[in-house]
Amino acid sequence: MTVRSYFLPRSLPEAIGLLETHGPELLVMAGGTVAMPLINDGISLPGAVMGLRRAGLDTLEVAGGTLRIGAAATLTQLLAQPAVPMLREAARNTASWSIRNMGTVGGNLFTPPPGGDVAVALLALDAGVTLAGPRGERVLPLADFFTGFLSNQLAADELLVEIQVPIRSDPTLFIKFGRKHANTPAVVTVAMRLEWDGNVVADARIALGAVGPHPIRAREAERLVVGTSLSADTIAVAAAAAAQGCEPFTDAIATEWYRRRMTGLFVSRALEQLAQGAEGEGR
Amino acid sequence: MASTIVAFELGGREVEVMVKPMTTLQSALRDQLGFTATKEGCRQGGCGSCTVLVNDEPMLSCLLPVEDVAGQRVTTLESLTPTQGLHPLQQAFLDANAFQCGYCTPGMTMLAQALLDHNPAPDRGDITQALTGNICRCTGYGPIVRAIEVAAQAMHAGEEGQPR
Repeated sequence: MTVRSYFLPRSLPEAIGLLETHGPELLVMAGGTVAMPLINDGISLPGAVMGLRRAGLDTLEVAGGTLRIGAAATLTQLLAQPAVPMLREAARNTASWSIRNMGTVGGNLFTPPPGGDVAVALLALDAGVTLAGPRGERVLPLADFFTGFLSNQLAADELLVEIQVPIRSDPTLFIKFGRKHANTPAVVTVAMRLEWDGNVVADARIALGAVGPHPIRAREAERLVVGTSLSADTIAVAAAAAAQGCEPFTDAIATEWYRRRMTGLFVSRALEQLAQGAEGEGR
Repeated sequence: MASTIVAFELGGREVEVMVKPMTTLQSALRDQLGFTATKEGCRQGGCGSCTVLVNDEPMLSCLLPVEDVAGQRVTTLESLTPTQGLHPLQQAFLDANAFQCGYCTPGMTMLAQALLDHNPAPDRGDITQALTGNICRCTGYGPIVRAIEVAAQAMHAGEEGQPR
């Protein structure tokens, strides 16, 4: 253990002050489920660490049609909220009970693939993120937050403080496919939200996890389903586009080839289920 | 930074440890306080053998800086164990042969206690869902699930039998 200083700020201003003082040398940690294993094994050797458990960033509230999630709210809190069912489903499919009691929603956005399943759902829900720093706060769409593998828009003196999710009644679907039924890294994660206008898809969000450097949108597949009634042919073409457009990788869980095949399969299944749901509702 | 003193509640007793920054709760329990029921398995959050309860909720003590539990209530297998005899969960684990090497047992027991706190009458699905983060390489899990079912019934019956 080489950590020389561990800070537990009691407020957001205190946390931002610490970031300003220590700069990029300060490792920011919320639930510790990603950082602590690396520290325990000596893979990560930070001189100073800031824990966010006491910083008052763990509130979760509905205000003005938006679910506002404090960055340090736990996955267990996310599982308990009734406002956005797909986020419950994403939390339920992430890790184990003890890990959900520790891991945070904000931390999930910094979890490298194949982890970060909640972020995939947030992407399909058009979530926004608030970043705070010494110069104030800025809000940006989650879709613009990720810039590459383990890289994002966050400046060295900024902190992710809140995630906003618009509450909508559009049909959604979350599928995490892993090698086990629970507590497993994803082969592929698919999160989908379709806006219908009668029996036509007016807008679509198809988000994928574990098949890219970060959670990604299958934009070509989205484009292909908008304006259609999701015929079998449309679904096949869109699923093929999602499979072709993703950037899977090989690891201990699955090969690149398998991840790509499963992306096509599960995008197809998700679209079929949402199309059937639409028929059931008489669209 | 020099060592700091961290105080928390452990099994109903106020304890203090002097720790270097980011000492894990697991290490403070085992190495400083002599509470060795909490096991050190993977130190990655992957095996569940270090499961303890913090304010009655299961957490992994290998991922928890002890500073984070300052002023909080920590429960380990030591405090679950009665002065005489065994806790119904321990008795059920023993009766059902729910362990061979025993390394996962403290974590399994604490997780089971948390489950029964939340849900006094869990079905098999509830139990297997709750246990997904706790690995056992000996039993194949069947005896553990059965032990928790039996303990739930025994604890339920015990509560009903108590005068109010």
